[in-house]
Amino acid sequence: MLLQVKNLRSGYGSLEVVHGISLHVCAGEIVGLLGANGAGKSSLLKSIVGLLSPWRGEIYVNNRRTFGQPAWRGVSHSMVLVPEGRQVFGDMTVRENLLMGGFHNPDRKMTLDVVLERFPRLGERLGQMAGTLSGGEQQMLAFGRALMARPRLLLLDEPSMGLAPLMVKEVFNEILKMKDLGVTVLLVEQNAAATLKIADRAYVMETGDIIIEGLASDLLHNPEVKRAYLGKGYKEVWE
Amino acid sequence: MSVFDRRYEMMPRAELEQLQLERLQALLVRVRRSVRRYRERLADIRVETLADVAQLPVTTPDDMVEAFPYGMFALPLREVIRLHSTMGPDGRPLVIGHTRNDLAQWGRLAARQFAAGGVTANDVIQVCLGEGLQRGTSGYELGAEQIQAPVIAEDPFHIDYQLAMLQNYRPTMLVTTPTNAIELVRMMEQRKIDPPSLNLRTVLLSRPVDDETRDQIRAGLLVAVKCNFGVDEVLNPGLCVECESGQFHVNEDHFLVETHSGELIVTTLGREAMPLLRYATRVSCEIVHEKCSCGRTGAILKPGPRLDRRLRVREMSVYEEQIAEVLNQMLPAERPFRIDVLERQVLISVQMTADIFTDTVWPIANLQREIESEVLARLGIDAEVRFRQTCPLTQP
Repeated sequence: MLLQVKNLRSGYGSLEVVHGISLHVCAGEIVGLLGANGAGKSSLLKSIVGLLSPWRGEIYVNNRRTFGQPAWRGVSHSMVLVPEGRQVFGDMTVRENLLMGGFHNPDRKMTLDVVLERFPRLGERLGQMAGTLSGGEQQMLAFGRALMARPRLLLLDEPSMGLAPLMVKEVFNEILKMKDLGVTVLLVEQNAAATLKIADRAYVMETGDIIIEGLASDLLHNPEVKRAYLGKGYKEVWE
Repeated sequence: MSVFDRRYEMMPRAELEQLQLERLQALLVRVRRSVRRYRERLADIRVETLADVAQLPVTTPDDMVEAFPYGMFALPLREVIRLHSTMGPDGRPLVIGHTRNDLAQWGRLAARQFAAGGVTANDVIQVCLGEGLQRGTSGYELGAEQIQAPVIAEDPFHIDYQLAMLQNYRPTMLVTTPTNAIELVRMMEQRKIDPPSLNLRTVLLSRPVDDETRDQIRAGLLVAVKCNFGVDEVLNPGLCVECESGQFHVNEDHFLVETHSGELIVTTLGREAMPLLRYATRVSCEIVHEKCSCGRTGAILKPGPRLDRRLRVREMSVYEEQIAEVLNQMLPAERPFRIDVLERQVLISVQMTADIFTDTVWPIANLQREIESEVLARLGIDAEVRFRQTCPLTQP
């Protein structure tokens, strides 16, 4: 298991938003983490990387305990987060953004060539300010910046958010290609259908709990997934 | 022999236990939200390790009877696409629902057993379980679809017809009951049919048998013999896989098993429509965690006898209470009776009393016949009724 989380609890102030969650990701997998707004997906991701201090539980990355460690340590465990809303450095050039991603990678110049080969459009705009890129291009830059750290585990937080449908398709294609590079992906998304098409397995979250885990192909037809998103009043229909 | 789902069947124990914990925690959230009975009993119990499962309440067959028909469903009926019924305590009916995913999972789990028996897409499977066992038939057919092996979707009602099908359709695998397999062996011996003239390579028996029966079938049909072990309310087939070493490996990615006072307790980790939390199966069992040469990592089950009063008459299950119900309806008053299960039928000895005694034979013979046909019609078993002056009761 590349990532193992057991009974993780975390929250903000006195408000618990992640209620003792367990999940795991094996090397080479794309694992989806689905759920509606406010389900606690991003909080869970932030707790895993250390941006939000977890309260209780266990987190192992590559069999090393990382619970409570600061976020920057995660990079040395080959775990990189691509945050929600891209968060590229708008006042820096594309090139600077990429090099920033590989700050602890001694071979970053070489890795840069690999990344630019992968995202040729970034190569065309190396000198351009990142803030002037389109949403889709910024997402590619965020992916490229993450790959500069040569991660084994990539945590993607809502990569399709705010993108045009055509761009969303391209973003998901890129995620699928990550697998070919040997990068393991934990993908947090609201776009359930698109995620389940590219993922191997998925977890569905609802109000701070995981309500189902299964093969992505099964979850595509799971009534609980629909319910988690649509909040249909299924409760006690037959009681 | 091949492994159908290598990832899950041979999953390292640490990963398997992590997966079980995740699925158990998710299951608790679902049942607490959707099944009133579980919500009332679970209160705020949370499980943080697999050992914590012992804190959870046990679901008994009586709970399922009380919840009949849909009270244990975790999803509304519109999400359920298949309903099976099975026999609960004292022969009372239980309903098992399946969603589309439940059926897909069932197929994959049954396919694991087929693959362990060497079945590939090049085989032809005949499923012949007889009347009253149609639940199993569905599972095997779904499993055959997963393996993509043709399955003969017809259950021959007579052994002659079955033999004709074996000769004409040339199935390579026969899924059947031990009784039927033994009958087939006897018939082939009587008619001097050479076993290799059939194309059979493997026989999968619907329940575990002793070594003697297994050897008899193996030698009589010149086939490899595999057995299935399942519990209808949980999943049958699909609970476990008999590997090439003859061990029953639990499909632990879908079932969490434990024993309580020697009884097998199963939690269904993946079922959507009707999940069961710590279901007391009324089957005695031993669970062994040891490495197996086949490479499967699932715990090994050593099933024992049933712990309730369910009888088996020619592969049909029956409870004494069901026979008592027939007798009470047919006879003027309740009276002591005794049941002896014979090879092909059940012998019901009823105490003769003054109210049914006559000095001519035919009214008694008539009553016997009527009871026998009623038992056959209602319970599907052949019975022989005898009136006796005194009748020692059946020992429970």
